[in-house]
Amino acid sequence: MVHGLERIETEPAAAPAAVAAPAAAAEHILAAINALVVKLSSVALVAAGFVLTYSVIVRYFLKISTDWQDEMSVFLIVGAVFMSAAAIQAVRGHVAVEAITELLPPRANMVRQILVDAASLAFCAYFAWKSWLLLMEAWTEGFHSGSTWGPPLWIPYSLMAVGMTLLSLQILLQVVRGLWPRGAMR
Amino acid sequence: MSVLSIGLLYGASTLVVMFAGMPIAFALGAVATLFMLFFMPAGSVDTISQNVYEEMASITLLSIPLFILKGSAIGRSRAGQDLYSAIHVWMYRIPGGLGIANVFACALFAAMAGSSPATCSAIGSAGIPEMRKRGYSPGFASGIIAAGGTLGILLPPSITMILYAVAAEQSLGRLFLAAIGPALLLVTLFAGYAAWRYRREYRDALALHQKSGTHSELLSKSTLTLREKLQLLPRVLPFVILLTGVMIALYGGYATPSETAGLGAVLALALIASIYSVWKPRDLAPILTSTLRESTMLMFIIGMSLLYSYVMSYLHISQSSAQAIVELELSRWVLLAAILLMVVVLGFFLPPVSIILMTAPIILPPLKAAGFDLIWFGVVMTIVMEMGLIHPPVGLNIFVIKSIAPDIPLGDVIWGVMPFVVLMMISIVLLCVFPGIATWFSDAIMGT
Repeated sequence: MVHGLERIETEPAAAPAAVAAPAAAAEHILAAINALVVKLSSVALVAAGFVLTYSVIVRYFLKISTDWQDEMSVFLIVGAVFMSAAAIQAVRGHVAVEAITELLPPRANMVRQILVDAASLAFCAYFAWKSWLLLMEAWTEGFHSGSTWGPPLWIPYSLMAVGMTLLSLQILLQVVRGLWPRGAMR
Repeated sequence: MSVLSIGLLYGASTLVVMFAGMPIAFALGAVATLFMLFFMPAGSVDTISQNVYEEMASITLLSIPLFILKGSAIGRSRAGQDLYSAIHVWMYRIPGGLGIANVFACALFAAMAGSSPATCSAIGSAGIPEMRKRGYSPGFASGIIAAGGTLGILLPPSITMILYAVAAEQSLGRLFLAAIGPALLLVTLFAGYAAWRYRREYRDALALHQKSGTHSELLSKSTLTLREKLQLLPRVLPFVILLTGVMIALYGGYATPSETAGLGAVLALALIASIYSVWKPRDLAPILTSTLRESTMLMFIIGMSLLYSYVMSYLHISQSSAQAIVELELSRWVLLAAILLMVVVLGFFLPPVSIILMTAPIILPPLKAAGFDLIWFGVVMTIVMEMGLIHPPVGLNIFVIKSIAPDIPLGDVIWGVMPFVVLMMISIVLLCVFPGIATWFSDAIMGT
């Protein structure tokens, strides 16, 4: 956030042209992806509910043993959680302790926010990278889950890798936005 | 470096990044990752994503988003208001009945929705205006709702309890059952206080009326016909049936806790579709989006907290701290009091979810060594965290009340809530003296 008063005192440096246009474009694309992901994740969540309901019904009324339902719902929900992480970050929905941040003057708080975002970015990007390595390993070695159903593990791993990558991109854009606020972009 | 210095460094760095305002999930993950890089064998950090995935891919934990979906579906429909009105019309004739009706409505709704703020806003948005219209003081009215709402994290299916069951490796079914007795105790205490306080406010209003002729709504009587009383039942009964059906499915052994969550979510969606015609994607979108938002935020904190405690345990920090606490040889009640005090203080900054997962490996072994039943402690710890929902400085429910009744001064809300904090303390003392309040029911149903 930029306050009118401070802008006179210290006009933020204008973003170099090489940053401004791609950043704005990336924000648009990511927002569109997030909107789609939220829809798909919502469907996945409801689907998980139905899978588990189905599981109760077939076991108690049709006396068929259940093997894939629990794992299927795990994949659906884990996928929904990782994939929608970026959309939640876009609205700053990952809660933080605000006890001290509220006491800081606005300008110091802006700097703090950028530093904190950069640290979050470093962690999430590292985690995303490790997820891609895990996915590659699971793909080449053909990892399967240990259950009787035994689905391949690249399915949930790929959702985790893509989700964490989207999350990292989202935070990267927020860092860029923090360095060159919207006014300075134009 | 010794375990002590690594442990202190671990704790200190966590405090620094958290208070810097880094999202809790990322803060825990980042600290854990850094310590893996510096203090754990080379290569152990390569498996962080696998660690987090394996911790999270537990069907018990993943029932949480489905319980949230069920709560959000019920919470965002008119079910809360209808439930409230139905209980109110049946109880309004009893002195203080309106206050008691609000306590009951909160308890029932909390059991259906499983969320404390959702209960406050659903019952409070109908209950607070009604109580104030009938002359209840604003502080009293907000106290009832704020305190009643906290039952959401105690009554099954409580998300807090699910996490405790996972962290303490205790049976979730047993924990849910153990919460019922204490929840009934709290409901009774709240209702008893509501009736007593009503009498006092009534007496004051009457005295004022006789002295100066000032009329209070508290003194006026109203009547409702039987027809009016029966009208609301068809809208409310399905939800009560949903609640009991889900409980029977769980305890009758028809469904696992996670299946219960799935079934509950699907039934809740079916009910709001058939009773309130909420079924179009446009109507469902806000319910699903808010569910996703809360679930993702929580599941990230949970996943990263588990990574955090994995590192803490690998580096022997949790074991050594637990050992150090045991070696203090505190008397069991001093130990319990110290631990509960720590939970209260942590509650000033952290959500219950992270308190449970981060502290469990440190506080549970000493408690177990001191001979406390961990199921019983889960219930006590939850009630302590309930208090954190209504007392300053955080008091989430206080802010929910402020948002549904903005004209009530914050001071009134806080003073109105305080008697309920005292009642919760009384219930904790009662639970310490008579642990059977919690354990009797679960032992009776599931065996000792």
